[in-house]
Amino acid sequence: MKDVYILGVGTTACGKFPEKGAHILGREAAWAAIKDAGIHPRKIEIAFCGHVYQGMGVGQRTLKEIGLVGQPTVNVEGACGSGTLAFWEAWRTIAYGQYDVALALGVENLSRILSGGPLPLEEDDIEVFMGMGMPSLYAMRAKRYMEEYGVTAEQLAKVVVKSRKHAALNPIAQFRKETTIEGVLKSPMIADPLTRDQCCPVGDASAAAVLCSGELVDKLATKKPIKVLGCVAQSGKYTSPTKLTCDPSENVSRTSGMAYEMAGLGPEDMDVAEIHDAFSIAEMIVCEALGFCEKGAGARLIDEERTSLGGDIVVNPSGGLLSRGHPVGATGLLQTAEIVWHLRGEAGKRQVEGAKVGIIETMGGAQPAMDGVTCVVSILGV
Amino acid sequence: MSEKEKASDQTEIYKPELFSTTPHPHLIAGRCKSCRKYTFPKYYACPFCFSDDLEDSPLSPTGILHSFTIVRRSFPAYPVPYGLGLVDFPEGVRVMAQIETDKPEELKLDMKMGITVGPIRKGKDGKDILSYKFRPLS
Repeated sequence: MKDVYILGVGTTACGKFPEKGAHILGREAAWAAIKDAGIHPRKIEIAFCGHVYQGMGVGQRTLKEIGLVGQPTVNVEGACGSGTLAFWEAWRTIAYGQYDVALALGVENLSRILSGGPLPLEEDDIEVFMGMGMPSLYAMRAKRYMEEYGVTAEQLAKVVVKSRKHAALNPIAQFRKETTIEGVLKSPMIADPLTRDQCCPVGDASAAAVLCSGELVDKLATKKPIKVLGCVAQSGKYTSPTKLTCDPSENVSRTSGMAYEMAGLGPEDMDVAEIHDAFSIAEMIVCEALGFCEKGAGARLIDEERTSLGGDIVVNPSGGLLSRGHPVGATGLLQTAEIVWHLRGEAGKRQVEGAKVGIIETMGGAQPAMDGVTCVVSILGV
Repeated sequence: MSEKEKASDQTEIYKPELFSTTPHPHLIAGRCKSCRKYTFPKYYACPFCFSDDLEDSPLSPTGILHSFTIVRRSFPAYPVPYGLGLVDFPEGVRVMAQIETDKPEELKLDMKMGITVGPIRKGKDGKDILSYKFRPLS
């Protein structure tokens, strides 16, 4: 297997931009990533475009705006994990020697299809037809988790307080105003116990990364190249009747376990993490699944501020999905860009000092008998 | 004519193959004839042993409420609020469905739940669509 490096990343801001189609957002991020990489666009041999709701040929529609035509362009869908699934595709096409330079892109304009409320899901899923949305699924996880481990509503709200505090330092974040526990709990109830502020917002954005093989990195790199130490994608397994709701996610545990093994590293080696906190409860469950703490100790991580800026394992310095935003297909590459900035020392006021290794976890989709549709975990290092 | 068939004369029933009201309300799972494990619903091949020799098999009429929520904001076709729960059945399957109750404040984790039939959402014509739901047993 070949070594793979990230040469450049680029993103748009996160927010509601109904006037900008996915291709308009996408061209901005793709161009920014190519400029950041400092390579000629024609060096890109293949492109992967993650999205969920952006229709036929969105990758081609986007890349023609910047002259990237002719090369294979593959549109990738893996629910909320689409962006990192596109990254995984780009990584593996280089790692296994098919191409040397690839573009991974994620695009999404959600505000054109949704003013608010839960993300539209597939009605062929029985549970969705029965009235399950993503907030209600996570609400049930939260309810059981709180009961099992004695976690309080205030502790859940602290995840959001931390998230907003980080996002206040992130110029591309959708929500940049700090909040309080009371403020989070007073926002309207969506599905008990999750209030609106504990749910990620509807938003739009795009993000991209340029990857290349180890053979070309010295020739092409104009900035400090970031090495992909591990990259694994897995689908959920049939989990019923295992403890879907309150145990650390089997899918995240399995995928991250494989990524740690590939990297030859463990959770204790991670300096910074961008994880899939689509809801307040998700951050606790995912921190456990990634091995940052014991099962049931997710709330203690927050209480002890170990995952806040200045802590020993900083989680979601960008503000995460809750505050930077969750433009579904773009999210994975927004997370990837954030980790690249930290490893290069370019993360501004929210910089995790001396970060050498970072991890990215994205979880896509709700298949109630399965533990998610797609989980992708990448480990990056300098 | 069963209650379910009578109702279906006027009303849209969602997934009638997944439940029965006779002799008492219960869900119908799939069971693998090879490894004898249950799934809900029945799949095309067994997720445990890949056998495609599967049969319909009734689940126990009661289960235990693993978790629930009261949904206050949902998709347009769903009048809010409504209860949504995950119930564990002794056959080893966990099923998600709406909860029919006038007193959501009385719902408790690990309480015993039965099956009933009721409205789950509005159809395109604005009429109720019925299907299986859970109800708390006191």
